[in-house]
Amino acid sequence: MAEKEEFTDISGKTIKLSCQNYSPFCREFTISSAKLSLGRVMAFTCTVWLLAYTAFYLTQNTAVLSGAIFVTLSGMLLHIHFVKVDHETLLVVGSLGVQLSAAYASGRESTTFIEMSRIKDIVINEAIHMQTVIYYLCILLKDPAEPDGVSSVVPLFQSSKPRLNCLVRVYRSCQEIIGQT
Amino acid sequence: MVLKIFFPRCCNMADSGLLVGRWIPGHDSAVVLAVIHYPFIPGHVKKYLSELRSQIQVDLTVLGSWSLSKDGQKEMDGFLKDLSTIFPHSRWLQLSREPGKKGFACEVVRKNGHAPPSGEEDKIIFVHYDQRKVMLSQLHPIHENGADVESSELRAVFHTVSQSEPLFLLDKYDDGPLKLTHWQSDGREASIIVELIKQVSVPVCILLTSLVCWWKWLWSFRVLNIWPVPFISSKLSTCVQAGYRTDHFQTVFSTRKATTHMDFMKKANMFVSFFVDIALGLLLISWLYRENRISQLANTLVPAADHVAKELQELLEWLMGAPAGLKMNRALDEVLGRFFLYHIHLWISYIRLMSPFIEMILWYVGLSACLGLTFALSVLSDIVALLTFHIYCFYVYGARLYCLKIYGLSSLWRLFRGKKWNVLRQRVDSCSYDLDQLFLGTLLFTILLFLLPTTALYYLVFTLLRLVVVMFQGLIHLSVDFINSFPLFAMGLRICRPYRLSEGVKFCVLHEEPGAPLHLLMEINPLQCSSVLQCYRTETSGCSSRDSWLALCKKLFVGELIYPWRQKTTKTD
Amino acid sequence: MGQRKRVNVQSPVPCPSETQPFSPHTHSSTEIPHHTHAFNTSGHHGYLQSGKHSICMVSDFFYPNMGGVESHIYQLSQCLIEKGHKVVIATHAYGERRGVRYLNNGLKVYYLPLQVMYNQSTATTCFHSLPLLRCVFVRERITVVHAHSSFSAMAHDALFHAKTMGLNTVFTDHSLFGFADLSSVLTNKLLTVSLCDTNHIVCVSYTSKENTVLRAALNPDIVSVIPNAVDPTDFTPDPSCRDSSKITIVVVSRLVYRKGIDLLGGIIPELCAKHPDLCFLIGGEGPKRLVLEEVREKYQLHDRVRLLGALDHKDVRDVLVQGHIFLNTSLTEAFCMAIVEGASCGLQVVSTRVGGIPEVLPDELVTLCEPTVSSLCVGLEKVIARQRAGKVPSPAAIHRQVQTLYTWRNVAERTEKVYDHACRQPVLPLPARLRRLRSHCGAVAGSIFSFVAVINFLFLLFLQWLFPNHLIDVAVDASGPGGRWGRGFGKEESKDPIVARCAVEDTRRLKC
Repeated sequence: MAEKEEFTDISGKTIKLSCQNYSPFCREFTISSAKLSLGRVMAFTCTVWLLAYTAFYLTQNTAVLSGAIFVTLSGMLLHIHFVKVDHETLLVVGSLGVQLSAAYASGRESTTFIEMSRIKDIVINEAIHMQTVIYYLCILLKDPAEPDGVSSVVPLFQSSKPRLNCLVRVYRSCQEIIGQT
Repeated sequence: MVLKIFFPRCCNMADSGLLVGRWIPGHDSAVVLAVIHYPFIPGHVKKYLSELRSQIQVDLTVLGSWSLSKDGQKEMDGFLKDLSTIFPHSRWLQLSREPGKKGFACEVVRKNGHAPPSGEEDKIIFVHYDQRKVMLSQLHPIHENGADVESSELRAVFHTVSQSEPLFLLDKYDDGPLKLTHWQSDGREASIIVELIKQVSVPVCILLTSLVCWWKWLWSFRVLNIWPVPFISSKLSTCVQAGYRTDHFQTVFSTRKATTHMDFMKKANMFVSFFVDIALGLLLISWLYRENRISQLANTLVPAADHVAKELQELLEWLMGAPAGLKMNRALDEVLGRFFLYHIHLWISYIRLMSPFIEMILWYVGLSACLGLTFALSVLSDIVALLTFHIYCFYVYGARLYCLKIYGLSSLWRLFRGKKWNVLRQRVDSCSYDLDQLFLGTLLFTILLFLLPTTALYYLVFTLLRLVVVMFQGLIHLSVDFINSFPLFAMGLRICRPYRLSEGVKFCVLHEEPGAPLHLLMEINPLQCSSVLQCYRTETSGCSSRDSWLALCKKLFVGELIYPWRQKTTKTD
Repeated sequence: MGQRKRVNVQSPVPCPSETQPFSPHTHSSTEIPHHTHAFNTSGHHGYLQSGKHSICMVSDFFYPNMGGVESHIYQLSQCLIEKGHKVVIATHAYGERRGVRYLNNGLKVYYLPLQVMYNQSTATTCFHSLPLLRCVFVRERITVVHAHSSFSAMAHDALFHAKTMGLNTVFTDHSLFGFADLSSVLTNKLLTVSLCDTNHIVCVSYTSKENTVLRAALNPDIVSVIPNAVDPTDFTPDPSCRDSSKITIVVVSRLVYRKGIDLLGGIIPELCAKHPDLCFLIGGEGPKRLVLEEVREKYQLHDRVRLLGALDHKDVRDVLVQGHIFLNTSLTEAFCMAIVEGASCGLQVVSTRVGGIPEVLPDELVTLCEPTVSSLCVGLEKVIARQRAGKVPSPAAIHRQVQTLYTWRNVAERTEKVYDHACRQPVLPLPARLRRLRSHCGAVAGSIFSFVAVINFLFLLFLQWLFPNHLIDVAVDASGPGGRWGRGFGKEESKDPIVARCAVEDTRRLKC
């Protein structure tokens, strides 16, 4: 059922898009980014410890070393708990709604479900992000006060940031389901 | 069309019977609430449902039939189909489950009897939900009015389940004409204690409310409302805190029942924070009144105040010379310095006068901690304010002088350029001045300009001192505010019973078989801690935004008085 | 709203569902035009083969800001799109308006988040705008960069970066400058540096051309004159709106020093004392409004001098047709659109004789005076006398005469030729560019800017290493030969309220 394809994100890293077809009106897209590389963790740890050792050499204070250990550990924990996203999932269920979830490397998941009655459309949009202009997929939410208006925009795949060709794939599949109902 | 059936998980293994629930108007979905087992008399079912309908204001109907096929019950199918003619309906659901299989089979029978044309066959999603959690949970953001409930499908489902609570009170071991399967609570016996407490709480509440009323009546005396008293009490943080606590007390112990969720949460939050506050206060007392700590404190406090005064005296003497090598206007410098020195002299004698009584004052004031930690902190803040009153005075004098000069300079600068401030139109107009006006203006401008550095220096030094004191007081106020407004009860609920406060739901796909209906599991998505804080914090004046940093800097620059002073409403110039 | 973290939210671009709009293998190198290579002088894009250009207009000044440059860019872009070119506009963010927006007919506007320094002009460091502008140039496959207005720092930055990236450049100068004071000397030096290796320069009038050639020490051959235009259908006369019992003088301009508002403040009391049936109608907003208000209060002319405040662009015509005489008191002006608008509405035009104004209208349509109170009063009295005697041509006749003088289609045709010409010219490679800078701009400034150019080039190489070109998604063309506006693109787009909201009709607020 699940088709897997490889794409790249906007900075050229490989990401995997897997599309799971549960039924004609229920589809799940998962974009998983690369795992936390051991090399970068080692590099980070080594830099902090080297710095700490230099400070220790200059000050002869052992608190610096224990501080460095604490900093690396807490930094790593915070990173995998709040920053590093392992995979992002978009579950589209026709006539029920759309569910976005992001799973962090620590296993924490944050999920949002948006009912179909609030969704106006799913579109590909352009935005200025950092120092580049990127395409991203987003959900337009209806404005309850004004039937044709858009009250806000919910961006999808915020942390994996796939490139346009990947977005187009997801966009077409989503439109198939949303168009049915 | 996609048909959504919300199915309770507790009914998964229920015996065959009738499905009771509700069609949600406007959406193609049905909420199953319970299963009525065989055997039953259709008349009883109808009567029971109509009774419930009038009781809970939810349009309960028989949705269809449920069959859990066991061996030798095949002949029941025909009977089930016949049932659809007994109960009025537009669509009749026939759910069946075979023991070996995970999924359900479902058939929809239209009212007119014939099946829908091929190709347009109904697609069906089963959404399994936990009846207890959905019943107890509160969806956020909260809409109290009923109009919004119908617009959103999920809200309608939550509303239906929570309204149907009386349905779940029927015990399955009761002897009655009907047997139902639905969620039912396990701990009915323990609730006797809760009931008892509820009964007791009513007279206690009445008593406490009358106490509060008496207290308020005391405060409403005419004598206490003549001019300086309200002004001073609004500046004393102890009085402000007492006001807050009285309000909280009144809300918590009012005999009126909290009807809405928000009211209930507000009461509970206030009660818990009140409780915790007093507990912390008692802890403080138990620490303070042991080992003669009060007298130690008093013995350090008086020399500290003396020391501050002495340091100030030295600072003034330094300013009266050539501070940091600056050359000041000698005469003005002397006048200002002497003026402030005399103040400090007064202050020192005042402290000497006070010192024998300080210990006693502290002892009595310390007792206020039994009213709560916040009271103790507020009293501390007030003591600091009183002990640094001389700094406040210096600051006010300095600021007034400086402010006067700045305004004088700015209007004379306008005169210089041939402009004037038009009060009526709130703008700068051009204006032609006479020669002597210009001469006088220039003279005054020069004098003011050359005297400005001296005043500015005094103003700067005293403002810095004042800012230190204000910062300390601000810290205390922040902590008091934190205790007052932190929603402890909501936080506890979020941690211990995450499903009670929900942000929404999340779905996961249970299992899928080609051809069979889709099964989803609906779980409660708990509210984020930050949203809990935002939603349930008790409003205090500290929560409302004050001046921005930029506005504060501007005020400092033009010499306007910062806290505490009454706010000017509209500034004309 | 919590989800909107670092992404600025803009008008959505629904992607067409039937056709394959984007080449499916954008990372295969054959698809990517390598026009960002600095030494590449022969652009091999599809655009050049089809004879169409892919143009990026860059200026600090664009809607929602209002003025001559803004409407020039907008109208020119619309006419170029009509001719089948692809046009995108890059400007800085205006408050909440940032990101990517679409205007009528698929005109794409990038509101880039660059810091505004003074008078809506961005701060410049020569480098910090390179990443964003490079991204725009690459993803839109730009062939010609057209910068507008010498006041705009962003335009100069874009010229600089475009030359580093090897793109053809065109510059339009909209204003006149002096030579005497310190600020003009500095600006002129910068202009010299900026224009010395620009492929082609456009000025709006001959006076402006003369001025620019002198200021930037240019070869006059690469400077063309293409005047501004007005949309004659927007400015039609309607004599029935006039109050025939009075003579009304209309002034529509921003109330700033450059527009000679102090002169106006001198004229009003003098003429009002002489002619009791004269009244003034003044549209626009600005710091000099105070001068007019004071005059009005001092001479108690509240019933005769009406200050209308800021006008919407669509209201300008309704104000103009209420008057008999249009007065323009500008102290400096490269090409005055206001007097063309006034004449197009059938008014008698009185103007100062400064800058390019004498070239704009034929002599029988305009009365020119010196920029002094007395001269303007004399000119106005002459016109008033003529008006009283009824010896003036009818508004319809004036309109007919003006109608054909300046049209945007004509401007677009001429600009197209400039692009064709500019694209045939080579873009100087770095060594030649450095040589040109050194020889043309003097030893000191030339050396400094050669150094800056080298740094810029290195920065570009660094960016190309950090974000290689093949990682930048090629944008879907809304206009141009492969434009999708109105074909599956506009279908969805037109029903979209955000886009409807940012359609230019709403943004035309005249803050003159």
